[in-house]
Amino acid sequence: MTTKDSRRPPGGLEAAVMAVLWAADAPMTAAEVQQDLGGDLAYNTVQTILFRLHDKKAVERHRAGRRHAYWPAKDASAVAASQMQAALMDRPDRVAVLQLFAASLDDDDAALLRGLLADTGQRRGS
Amino acid sequence: MTVAVYLPLLLALPLALGARRIAARGTPGPAAWTLVTIAAVAALASTWSLTMLALTALDDLPPLAALDNHPTLELPEPVPGPVALIAGLLLVAGGVRLVIDARRRITTNRRLREVGDPDQELVIADWTTPMAVAVPGTAHTPGRLLVTTGILQLLSAPEREVVLAHERAHLAHRHHRLTATVAAAAAMNPLLIPVRRAVEFLVERWADEDAAADVGDRGLAATTVARAALASSGAGSGTVLGIDGGAAVQRVRALSQPTPAPMLRRLAAPILLGAAIVALAGAATEAFVDLAHAWL
Repeated sequence: MTTKDSRRPPGGLEAAVMAVLWAADAPMTAAEVQQDLGGDLAYNTVQTILFRLHDKKAVERHRAGRRHAYWPAKDASAVAASQMQAALMDRPDRVAVLQLFAASLDDDDAALLRGLLADTGQRRGS
Repeated sequence: MTVAVYLPLLLALPLALGARRIAARGTPGPAAWTLVTIAAVAALASTWSLTMLALTALDDLPPLAALDNHPTLELPEPVPGPVALIAGLLLVAGGVRLVIDARRRITTNRRLREVGDPDQELVIADWTTPMAVAVPGTAHTPGRLLVTTGILQLLSAPEREVVLAHERAHLAHRHHRLTATVAAAAAMNPLLIPVRRAVEFLVERWADEDAAADVGDRGLAATTVARAALASSGAGSGTVLGIDGGAAVQRVRALSQPTPAPMLRRLAAPILLGAAIVALAGAATEAFVDLAHAWL
């Protein structure tokens, strides 16, 4: 266990794996998930998490050669989306009480941010 | 009544004027706690002042006038009737705003807690709008993260870690309590609205700093906030209204610089102000008690 793993709360690894599967546009094998997670997790750990998620019906899989390819089960997330939309969409005032990761920008702010992003990109690239 | 009863109503003003500057620099955590505490003190003191002023109107009521032990006594600096009336109206308006805000918070969090499987720490909603929300728990249930597929697909794996670490920081430090407290203070005393905004900004900065420390890369945290903010603004503003967009630019700038120094000295002025408000409220209460004695 590296320190990077231990800071994750229980269920945090499952969350990270689910996030990877959702971000991909095609089914992924355990090896591909491991790679996308940045390689700080053992292959067996990733595979165990995928098995557990499959047991919970959070992911679906099919056999791809000798391995399984996994993709997220859409039903639960579709239900979650409609519940979330019902809670927020018709009442913009409710959004104001949330701790949202990012808020809306005006055009000037957006231009500033693009500039900042370009600067950081250059610095990180060099 | 002395001037001490009116001063707590106005002393929210210097706090409101200084809040932005306090929020702009230094470690965000202590600043958030200080501003919330002093705002609560200021709101309680101004509410108590309004209550005392409104209660002086009772002097004119016939049943109390009949109880008056010293009908010939000239009241010390009596409060003019219209002032008492205005104080009463301000109190009622504050109470109404408080109830509306509290109900909105409770309803929103309850409905978001009902989203998805209650056993999952992370709920993923299949929705293209990029959003990530921390939903505070209750006494019996832990808090949860609610993210859309829109934000997951927008970001890389390390950037997704930043978002999840940021939202977990909100839950771990119970930021919803700070924001709810300062919102209640601003509802009772609208002069405190800038303080509410400063605290809302500070808890985001706080979660940003936590997330940057978690992933060990400030530059990564900066680009994540920038990219998420840009995507959110492009995605139709109907979903992410209500918060000052300039905050995103400030957050990215702060993350592009080294970890801030604590700068705790900038908190001395608000703490002194809080002490002054408490002292004034005490003096006003004493004057009010004397006045009440004179009536009865």
